[in-house]
Amino acid sequence: MGTQVKDVIIKPDAPNSLLLDKHADYIAAYGSKKDDYEYTLSEYLRMSGIYWGLTVMDLMDQLPRMNRQEIIDFIKSCQHECGGISASIGHDPHLLYTLSAVQILSLYDDVDAIDVDKVVEYVKGLQQEDGSFAGDKWGEIDTRFSFCAVATLALLGKMDAINVDKAVEFVLSCMNFDGGFGCRPGSESHAGQIYCCTGFLSLTGQLHQVNADLLGWWLCERQLPSGGLNGRPEKLPDVCYSWWVLASLKIIGRIHWIDKAKLRLFILACQDEETGGFADRPGDMVDPFHTLFGIAGLSLLGDETIKGVNPVLCMPEDVLQRVSLQPELLS
Amino acid sequence: MAESEEEVDVLVQRVVKDITNAFKRNPNIDEIGVIPCPEARYNRSPIVLVENKLGVESWCVKFLLPYVHNKLLLYRQRKHWLDREALVDITCTLLLLNPDFTTAWNVRKELLQCGVLNPEKDLYLGKLALTKFPKSPETWIHRRWVLQKILRQSSAAGCRKQQQQQQQDEAEQADVGRSQQLSDHLARTLHQEMRVCSDAAGRYPSNYNAWSHRIWVLQHMAMGNIKVFHDELSSMRLWVSMHVSDHSGFHYRQFLLKEVITELSHSSGNSGSPEHRSSTVLSSSPNHHSHSQANGELSGAEAADEVENQLGLSAVFQLFHQEMELCTDLIQSFPGHETLWSHRRHVFYLWHHWRRKHQHHHCNSTNGGSNSVHLNDSEPGLQKPAVQGSEDEEVVNRQRPAGEDMEVDRASLPDSRDSKRLKRGACPPTLPLEHSFVSRILDSCCNPEQRRFALAYRKWLDTVIGQQP
Repeated sequence: MGTQVKDVIIKPDAPNSLLLDKHADYIAAYGSKKDDYEYTLSEYLRMSGIYWGLTVMDLMDQLPRMNRQEIIDFIKSCQHECGGISASIGHDPHLLYTLSAVQILSLYDDVDAIDVDKVVEYVKGLQQEDGSFAGDKWGEIDTRFSFCAVATLALLGKMDAINVDKAVEFVLSCMNFDGGFGCRPGSESHAGQIYCCTGFLSLTGQLHQVNADLLGWWLCERQLPSGGLNGRPEKLPDVCYSWWVLASLKIIGRIHWIDKAKLRLFILACQDEETGGFADRPGDMVDPFHTLFGIAGLSLLGDETIKGVNPVLCMPEDVLQRVSLQPELLS
Repeated sequence: MAESEEEVDVLVQRVVKDITNAFKRNPNIDEIGVIPCPEARYNRSPIVLVENKLGVESWCVKFLLPYVHNKLLLYRQRKHWLDREALVDITCTLLLLNPDFTTAWNVRKELLQCGVLNPEKDLYLGKLALTKFPKSPETWIHRRWVLQKILRQSSAAGCRKQQQQQQQDEAEQADVGRSQQLSDHLARTLHQEMRVCSDAAGRYPSNYNAWSHRIWVLQHMAMGNIKVFHDELSSMRLWVSMHVSDHSGFHYRQFLLKEVITELSHSSGNSGSPEHRSSTVLSSSPNHHSHSQANGELSGAEAADEVENQLGLSAVFQLFHQEMELCTDLIQSFPGHETLWSHRRHVFYLWHHWRRKHQHHHCNSTNGGSNSVHLNDSEPGLQKPAVQGSEDEEVVNRQRPAGEDMEVDRASLPDSRDSKRLKRGACPPTLPLEHSFVSRILDSCCNPEQRRFALAYRKWLDTVIGQQP
């Protein structure tokens, strides 16, 4: 019985150069199909969808092609009485979409379009006694929400609104023997959660609490022979996990531990030459989510035709400079 | 689209009713799915109920979903009124088609809070959604909320019962009955939750949400109930052996091992203070052994504790030994699986930490006396405790028959140079044993993946374990 390595094979005719124009056209056209069944299906995460689209457009220096006023009006109508922001009109507010909205408004340099004090109150109100954060008023706890909370407050320059020490304590309680992090204490390490937790520790200035060599080791083991990265052992490689692993490695100063050239080829192979956009793996259907993480990954790998991306917030570096936010990175 | 808005309206309302009626007709529906069917055929409902399976023909989904989706959002914006019954039906249809629609689950939470829905009904709806969408994060999140509601309700009922009991002794009998009902109900809920997790884990490999939910359930509904942990550990043995690529399933097993070992270590040193049993993290649990033996003299009670202590320690050895043996068997039978090597790392790490933590205590407690347990791995041959027991025995330290040899005795230690004994003897792992395991794999195996993982494990032993004090 042979071993079936869980990986993809990149075909010789797979795209190997970056098709920036195609990607910009793909994103610009994406929002116009609003009656689409798929569009209804994904409305519950619309605010994040807009953040993905706008950020990738900004990284490609194409932000002016998007309808700024329409988007800002939309965000305003998604802020609720409690201060939290929902994915779309009529949906319930949640930390996930509150962060996305604040990220979008930061791209547009217009956070005052919403009631910032109320956002801060909302975030503060979701912190629990043990330092963790609930995603919304219903109380689900996850390290992702700890990241959303501090990222939102960092962008608004209001980190002091919460108990940072307690928040750090909770995130550290989710650290595992392999140096990674899970969603709650005792949960399995997962590249997406690791990104959130290292990003959280960066924003709170606590990266020295990470065992960078041990975590770096685990993250490097995510690289497969195809060059792509997976999010956990024996999972398939995926463009979005490539971003989360790569960004985490950048945050803890170990990005040089993986084979960058091979990863670049994997990401390029995930482009659709006809429609534009990136898929999770070569040959699959493209979407804005993987398109952002494909472009952002190439930026972290040093592609100079794309703007520099910040590994912690997944936003253009020039935007963060404007708000004077420079999250800590290990060297 | 040829259909007019009115036609769609009529069609969709009928379909929503058909779904509701299907659940009334058959309360045992256990799976949902979409039947590929691009066009409406015949003049019949697109809702198909065959035995316990509920199907919806694919052609109608593109009308059905946007309709119920928009209806609910209009209601949420107070632009359209829906009565409670309609809300129940619409959210049900909506969530079976799109279970990550958070707001729809929230509407059901509100219906639960005002008593229109009961928690069991919602756990059932979630269970069905998971048959088609086994990862759906929002479905798992809603389950945890419902379970917490059940837990709160039963602990409130428990408090009421206690108050009553103080007031009237004659009601005691009835209260005992009610309390029994309550704990039976919780036990059934726990059992059902484990089944839902297993089912979802079977439908999607390395299902992070299913396995982390399972851990949450044990942490919230079974802490201190060591039997549940032993039973889980026992049943997971076969499961992991049949899913050697499922890293999440193995992680769950590691969680169970850690909990059981913590429990065994506690019960051996400190028979029964319950607050000590809720620690979830081995490395952060308080040291339960140091206080009773500070002066080196053992009273009668302490001597009895010491026997208990030995039993607990032996059980821990046995557990580690069996786990490493399982790991060895699986690695040799299924070469090239990263999950298995990762499991080996974790188990060895658990052992390494447990040993470091308990080595210190043990030197103090026995005061150099019986010296029956050595936890030093620098000399593998000389200092292995031999705990004899059935090799297939999974559960240790549960009502062990009297007379079964649990002594840990230096004199009966196997010879380290006898490789068969090394493989079969009930010895805990040691660094040299792990190195010789790696060498054996490298000598005998030409599978390149297996060799790569073996080399990585060796490097991990050298750098991560070897460099710790």
